[in-house]
Amino acid sequence: MLQFTTTEQAYPQTREAAARKLDFNEISAPFNPAEAATQSSRCSQCGVPFCQIHCPLANNIPDWLKLAAEGRLQEAYAISSATNSFPEICGRICPQDKLCEGNCVIEKGFGSVTIGAVEKYITETAFAQGWVKPIKITRESGRSIGIIGAGPAGLAAADMLRRQGHALTIYDRYDRSGGLMIYGIPNFKLDKKIVQRREKLLRDGGIKFQLNTQVGITITLDDLRKKHDAVLIATGVYKPRALGISGDTLQNIFPAMDYLTASNRKGLGDKVAAFDSGTLNANAKRVVVIGGGDTAMDCVRTAVRQGAASVTCLYRRDRANMPGSAREVKHAEQEGVVFEWLAAPAQFIGDGAVKSVEVQRMRLSAADEAGRSNVEAIAGDTYGLDADMVIQALGYDADDLPALFNAPELRASKYGTLAIDAQFMTTLPNVYAAGDIVRGASLVVWAIKDGRDAALAIHARLSVEARHVA
Amino acid sequence: MWHEDFDTRAAHLAANGLYSPADERDACGVGMIAAIDGVPRRAIVEKAIEGLRNMWHRGAVDADGKTGDGAGIHIQLPQAFFADYIARIGKQPDARLGVGMVFLPKKHFANQELCRAIIETEILRGGYSIHGWRQVPVAADVIGDIASESRPEIEQVIIAGRPECDEARTERDLYLIRRRIENAVRTKAINDFYICSLSSRSIIYKGLFKAEQLTAFYPDLLDARFVSNFAVFHQRFSTNTAPAWHLAQPFRVLAHNGEINTLRGNVNFMRSHEANFTCDAFKGAEDDLRPVIPDNTSDTGALDAVMEILTRAGRALPLAKLILIPPAWSKNKELPPHHRHLFACCNAVSEQWDGPAAIAATDGEWVIAGMDRHGLRPMRTLVTRDGLLICASESGMVQVEESDVLERGRLGPGEMIGVNLLQQKLYYDYELKNYLAAEKPYSQWVGKTILLREILQQTTRLGRSKKRATPEASHLLKRQLAVGLSMEVVEGIIHPMATTGKEAVGSMGDDAAMAVLSNQPRPFHHYFRQNFSQVTNPPIDSLREARVMSLKTRFGNDGNFLALDDSHSEIVLADTPILLAAEMAAVLQHFKKRITRIDTTFALDAAGNGLRQGLDRIVAEAEKAALSEKSFVLLTDEAADESRASIPMILAISAVHSHLVKKKLRKKSSILVRTDECSDVHALAVMIGSGATVVHPALAEDTIVARHAHGLLGELSSEQALDNLREALAQGLLKIMAKMGISVVSAYRGGLNFEAIGLSRALATEFFPGLPSRISGIGLSGIEARIRKLYTAAYPKFAADVESLPVGGFYRLRAGAEGHAWTGENIHALQTAVTKGSYQLYKKYAASVAASPPIALRDLFDFRSNAAPVALEEVESVVAIRKRFVAPAMSLGALSPEAHEVLAVAMNLIGAASNSGEGGEGPERFAPRSNGDNANSVIKQIASGRFGVTAEYLNSARELQIKVAQGAKPGEGGQLPGFKVTVEIARLRHATQGVSLISPPPHHDIYSIEDLAQLIYDLKQINPTALVSVKLVAQSGIGTIAAGVAKAMADKIVISGHSGGTGASAWSSVKHAGVPWEMGLAEANQVLTLNRLRHRVMLQTDGGLKTGRDIVIAAILGAEEYALGTASLVAMGCLMVRQCHSNTCPVGITTQDAMLRSKFEGTVEKVVNLMSFVAEDVREILASLGVRSLNEIIGRTELLSQVNRGGEELVDLDLNTLLTQADAGPHARHCTLTARNEVPDTLDAQMLEAAGEALAKGEKIQLAYSVRNVMRSIGTRLSSLVVRHGGAAFDEQITLQLRGSAGQSLGAFLARGIRIELLGEANDYVGKGLSGGTIIVRPRPSSALVPHANTIIGNTVLYGATSGALFANGQAGERFAVRNSAADAVVEGCGSNGCEYMTGGNVVILGEVGQNFGAGMSGGMAYVYDASRTFEARLNTESVVAQRLQSAYWEAVLQHLIETHARETSSPQAVHILSNWESCRSNFWQICPKEMLSRLPHPFSDIATHSPLQKRQA
Repeated sequence: MLQFTTTEQAYPQTREAAARKLDFNEISAPFNPAEAATQSSRCSQCGVPFCQIHCPLANNIPDWLKLAAEGRLQEAYAISSATNSFPEICGRICPQDKLCEGNCVIEKGFGSVTIGAVEKYITETAFAQGWVKPIKITRESGRSIGIIGAGPAGLAAADMLRRQGHALTIYDRYDRSGGLMIYGIPNFKLDKKIVQRREKLLRDGGIKFQLNTQVGITITLDDLRKKHDAVLIATGVYKPRALGISGDTLQNIFPAMDYLTASNRKGLGDKVAAFDSGTLNANAKRVVVIGGGDTAMDCVRTAVRQGAASVTCLYRRDRANMPGSAREVKHAEQEGVVFEWLAAPAQFIGDGAVKSVEVQRMRLSAADEAGRSNVEAIAGDTYGLDADMVIQALGYDADDLPALFNAPELRASKYGTLAIDAQFMTTLPNVYAAGDIVRGASLVVWAIKDGRDAALAIHARLSVEARHVA
Repeated sequence: MWHEDFDTRAAHLAANGLYSPADERDACGVGMIAAIDGVPRRAIVEKAIEGLRNMWHRGAVDADGKTGDGAGIHIQLPQAFFADYIARIGKQPDARLGVGMVFLPKKHFANQELCRAIIETEILRGGYSIHGWRQVPVAADVIGDIASESRPEIEQVIIAGRPECDEARTERDLYLIRRRIENAVRTKAINDFYICSLSSRSIIYKGLFKAEQLTAFYPDLLDARFVSNFAVFHQRFSTNTAPAWHLAQPFRVLAHNGEINTLRGNVNFMRSHEANFTCDAFKGAEDDLRPVIPDNTSDTGALDAVMEILTRAGRALPLAKLILIPPAWSKNKELPPHHRHLFACCNAVSEQWDGPAAIAATDGEWVIAGMDRHGLRPMRTLVTRDGLLICASESGMVQVEESDVLERGRLGPGEMIGVNLLQQKLYYDYELKNYLAAEKPYSQWVGKTILLREILQQTTRLGRSKKRATPEASHLLKRQLAVGLSMEVVEGIIHPMATTGKEAVGSMGDDAAMAVLSNQPRPFHHYFRQNFSQVTNPPIDSLREARVMSLKTRFGNDGNFLALDDSHSEIVLADTPILLAAEMAAVLQHFKKRITRIDTTFALDAAGNGLRQGLDRIVAEAEKAALSEKSFVLLTDEAADESRASIPMILAISAVHSHLVKKKLRKKSSILVRTDECSDVHALAVMIGSGATVVHPALAEDTIVARHAHGLLGELSSEQALDNLREALAQGLLKIMAKMGISVVSAYRGGLNFEAIGLSRALATEFFPGLPSRISGIGLSGIEARIRKLYTAAYPKFAADVESLPVGGFYRLRAGAEGHAWTGENIHALQTAVTKGSYQLYKKYAASVAASPPIALRDLFDFRSNAAPVALEEVESVVAIRKRFVAPAMSLGALSPEAHEVLAVAMNLIGAASNSGEGGEGPERFAPRSNGDNANSVIKQIASGRFGVTAEYLNSARELQIKVAQGAKPGEGGQLPGFKVTVEIARLRHATQGVSLISPPPHHDIYSIEDLAQLIYDLKQINPTALVSVKLVAQSGIGTIAAGVAKAMADKIVISGHSGGTGASAWSSVKHAGVPWEMGLAEANQVLTLNRLRHRVMLQTDGGLKTGRDIVIAAILGAEEYALGTASLVAMGCLMVRQCHSNTCPVGITTQDAMLRSKFEGTVEKVVNLMSFVAEDVREILASLGVRSLNEIIGRTELLSQVNRGGEELVDLDLNTLLTQADAGPHARHCTLTARNEVPDTLDAQMLEAAGEALAKGEKIQLAYSVRNVMRSIGTRLSSLVVRHGGAAFDEQITLQLRGSAGQSLGAFLARGIRIELLGEANDYVGKGLSGGTIIVRPRPSSALVPHANTIIGNTVLYGATSGALFANGQAGERFAVRNSAADAVVEGCGSNGCEYMTGGNVVILGEVGQNFGAGMSGGMAYVYDASRTFEARLNTESVVAQRLQSAYWEAVLQHLIETHARETSSPQAVHILSNWESCRSNFWQICPKEMLSRLPHPFSDIATHSPLQKRQA
């Protein structure tokens, strides 16, 4: 360990942009064992592990890096998976440069340890070696929990609760489980097989999935509450935000989720009419994506892969102030995406369908309390940008669950997210909530964290109840 | 009345505060004189009185300026004097008289009368009659007020001897009578009663005065009828603070200079020994002899009591000394077999009384002086032509005409010298041991001892040993989980032991929550803090001085303590108390008829009190076993499983041990332990310290075996890995013993050399009697709850099995685990605040610190004040407050030069202080730079390594700090690995680039409190303006030490907490040694205040201080200065990576690597911002408390209240002991010094004027004086003058011609330009810190001695010398040229440990050297003239090689030095060698450090392939 003074940082090889543009496969090669060990050995084994502190899951990163450096991958996997239900997913899609790696103490001056790549390597090795096994419990606790939403929060909670011996059923309105992980994130970042492999493990561990089930329509919340000792709401947030500017009702302007879901369904082999008709296919189109988050990055890179004629990303702040991962921007730029920083759409122009975007030039102004710079328009500085297709990746708001679930007792915040107490319980007894539906749109890793924490709270509550009953 | 007041107030503190009277210790000066012909003479009494007068500087003076710590004399009973007295009251003695010298209660007349009645009754009952009482005339006005107030009524009871009884019989009878009197008085609970002596042979006059007041107080002693054939005399410098008449020395047999570290264990085992001893001399009266050791005595008093009973029971006095204070013999290659057998048999009788000890003793027949195995106290010997043997701490104390001197010698480690008054014969050490060895057939007896090694070989031969099975993984995991093991411990603690044979090393301080405040289940041993030596006695270097250390462990030595026979030798002897499975099996097999197996688990289904029931059962089973044939108990936790949990093994051991001690059965039992809980060195130490005979660390062993099976140990075989484990545990145990100054495990066992923090008082009292536990906390039910938690996790009911151990978080921060004081959040907050210069952001940092869960004791406090807040403007300024802040000692070596300088510049900028640390500092930093930056550290540290401690360095300081101990590793030395010794560091430390440097555990000139006083004296001479501070580490008993330090004239005492940082030390030290500063500071403040010393000494504290809140709490607990170490580093960019020891600090703070240093982003502004923000924070708190300055709150503990009592499992976490206030009397509660405490002038005061003129004019000058031993540090003050003049104009500008016996520290820090020529002899510390001067010592012209056969200079000569030369025409004492950096020297023989830790210079020894020569020597060159062919056996080859002269270059160097020596001293030995060079040269050995071989400017050997001694032995 501590080899950072003599060993340089090296990420796994990524494919040439020209080649990777042609398919939806992951862009980086896996580490080979020697590289993984060498790169892991750069870790400084800090007394105060800033990587862990800035990991939402508080992964014990220095510990599994040490084990990986020593080639003890099975133990590394045990440590890694003890704090993370889906390390193979986080290793791929976490914005490490904003989290663990960005806070690595050797980041400044030496380049951080390549934590995400090692995490992926450890987990893939564990799968390949058969070390990843379905949950095997000692004995059934006799308690059951229903989870609404098979996204990262719901799945993580299910994983944790099942390990405590409880019976689990997960309900999801889609035909597949995984939530955003299956329909939101493109394959080149997270191959769908990875998500499905995990789902199978959970099924094999005794967790039941009830798909195509929409609470409030196919089943009522009351039904679930009667059926289970506890219910966890982990639906995520799906309501796209809109700009509300002139021309935003023109055709060929889509919310990001519609666009990405179509692409992902195609990748999974589904028939998608809107895609096949060309509507949601960027091929040969001049595509403008609006937004600076990771979803925007997914959109621009998907468009590149669909063969767009050009892809431009508009973001109203500058590169340093964008919320998405800098690494993703780099990848997108390599793949030919044009970024227009300090640029916001002023109006969409077209005749039935969108033809161009009028772009307003912006400048940074005083920083807000969190230290992020605000922006203001530069009066009169506008220009036109031709567009055949505009994708709005502006974030998501919560759906009105109390209405959808026909449960007015569920209290929501002013943002529409569900209100919970410190034990993750909503205003309905024994109904809990976690993930984006509580936090608002956020990273997968936060959803996993919330799901796990909620599971602990539910388990604690059930254990107390069990004691009272006994 | 001061005395009664004092008692009341002391009792109040003892009950409510942190002061404990049981911490009393001795130190001092000691001597004896004996007439070899046994004929009494007046001259002996007079010389002894003179000797006492000449050792005033070795004693202490109390706060009243007059009361000494005590002095006394033991002489023959002047029969004529008392016969005359009897005659005057009209009686006629018909036989020899007996006299009792008695202290009676002075003020309580009824008790006084009762005591007289008891004495008379017992004398009559003993068959003797009484002539009468004599009131001893005393001059009460000569002694101090404190002594006067506590003065007892001093009377003599004169007993009529019985004509039919011979002297021996009378003495035996009187001894028994005295013991009966003592017991009778004790049952009446009378205080202030004491019998100094009761004998027909001798009498003791002693009391609480300074040595020179002895005869003024007791005019009896001036009477010419007081004649004697011996005298034993003593002056005390106690580190106890309550002055006590009865603790003055000599005691009935001995007087002692030193300290007994193993006292608690010794006292415990003595209880067992006395339980069933019998003795022909006292047949039937044995009960009257119990308890052997009285309560309320000192360590010396206890030793004396045991030695007395041994001699009264018939053992010769020198034999009793060998039994109790044996030499180090088992590793001595030169020992003749008959001595070895004698020592082996003595060792089997009793565990030794360990600690520095020079004793003078008599039993009436023998008068001896003796030294313990370490030889750490001085004892100079002298034989006169008229037949006197004179031994004393210093040469010259008893003056003798030089022409009367027959020989001058010294006692080395383990040596004795003595006179048998009846035989009228002088015995030297070797003869004395021959004499004893011939008394009994020891060689036969020793044959009865069986070695465990032999048993093991036998069982292996018989094929009984089972093949080692690899433990099943999931079962192993559960066992690990059940005892709370983490991955951190397995990977970071156990694994390194198995692979390297050493303990793992860490860095920075311990900022984890204390065990009692933690919300995690913590192993039981975490509640125990290691104790350690500081000031009053030295820790030992268990690596470099391994020959004195021993882990030999005996089974079954239950012989009769008082019997001198072979029963003691019928034992089984193991090399170490750490047994692996196979050895444990062999022991169990061998003793199978004697073993009772006791299960130490309890059923988890027992509702709530399983632990209590389990302990009761275990104790009952152990007692039953001890009463039966099967008296050996095996405590084992192997039955632990999902339904049975282990009782903490330490608790089980101590419960059994203490119960058996109480029942006086311990001696019959051995306590064998098989446990899953011993995974680190500290756990092992606590188990042995609690009384375990042997420990089998079963889980650690199985863990390693499993790792081996999984291929995690590389090429190592499992046997090698387990040997490594045992080696690492053994070395760690030795180190923990050594830091207490204890060298043998038998003396450590059961001694509970720990302090508990957070164990409930009830639990500590019941199961760990005698263990200091001042902060109560968790009790049995809380412990049980924590155990149950662990078992629930290890054996889940429903859930899937846990697949791996938790990662841990005790050593390094981990999420969801142990709380640490430094977190990512507060580090980031502080760094942002100081970078941006924003006090508002600092407040966020302070709030984040305050909001964290309790880590330290102070976190349980909050402020409380009845006063109305004052306006902020009224509070003293930031400028005033931050002047009290200190950047504590961090050496250049630990820190990069950049970081070190930034700290110094920043602290100087705000008028505060930075501390150089112990690595020296470049002279270019002593003056401000052209831009006004001042990088001079105004505090210069003097640590045990003395690196770069030159006269110039010392004169550049405003404060000189003696680092006695360091918070992270008290009681230990350090090592700077070669790779950190850059060119720059080598320059500052006067060393060689790339060669490792060792700091010894003790200061080799501080083995005792009077030595510290001497060093303080030296420092006040070399820098006439600097304050002297002494840095201590918090521990129980620090109050008494601090009082001693204050009496030693220190101006400031630093109390470091256990949490202090380090660049590198063993984890067990970082984590488990020392106690929080809150406890140490409160105790020091209480005891200093109680003793009216507080106002004349300043207190500083450090240890994790982070915010204004910490500072204000420290002030309230008694500190006026505050050091912020880690916080300063964090301000400069430290991210708590904790890899300082790896030289890979990624922020360039603790590294010497140029590339990493370039990453350093610390600035002066950041440090200044930190200090200013903390000061502002302090102001705000002061304002809220309604006070205007820090001085107003120092010691004002009513401003604090405890607001949190810790977790719910705790019985009563009570911090009130910290808040007790001592009565300050008329004095301030804070230091009111305006200048330093001045020490008396020495001879130099006379030299200054003359020398100053010469210096100014650039002329030479010669001064001549006659000197005495009371004139100390000669030439030191003069050196300061020279340095302040900018150095001498040329070499030998000032010549001092001296004649006589020079006091200690002759030529300390002697500067270039001064030459001392002494005709006579000198005492310890000659040329200490020599800084370019020259010292020449040779016998007086009138001397008839053969110079090279006699001792001319004392111990620890040239310690830390950085340049200059010494030529001494005679032998030197122990540790000659220890840590010499560059001085050249020639002497004609030296004691043990010569050239230890030396890093430079050329040393020539033209005669025999003692044991362990060249230990830890990493630089320089030594030459030894080995005509006696003893050298090879005495060389420590660990770090050096020796060869015959093989290089023309180095031979020329040697010859040149001898020629200079011959010229300077006229040494006959040098002349002889030079004139017979060809025949003599083959007697020389040349010794060179291994690390230097490749770095020598000229090759070690001209022959291509040389064969150094090292290789030949291999």
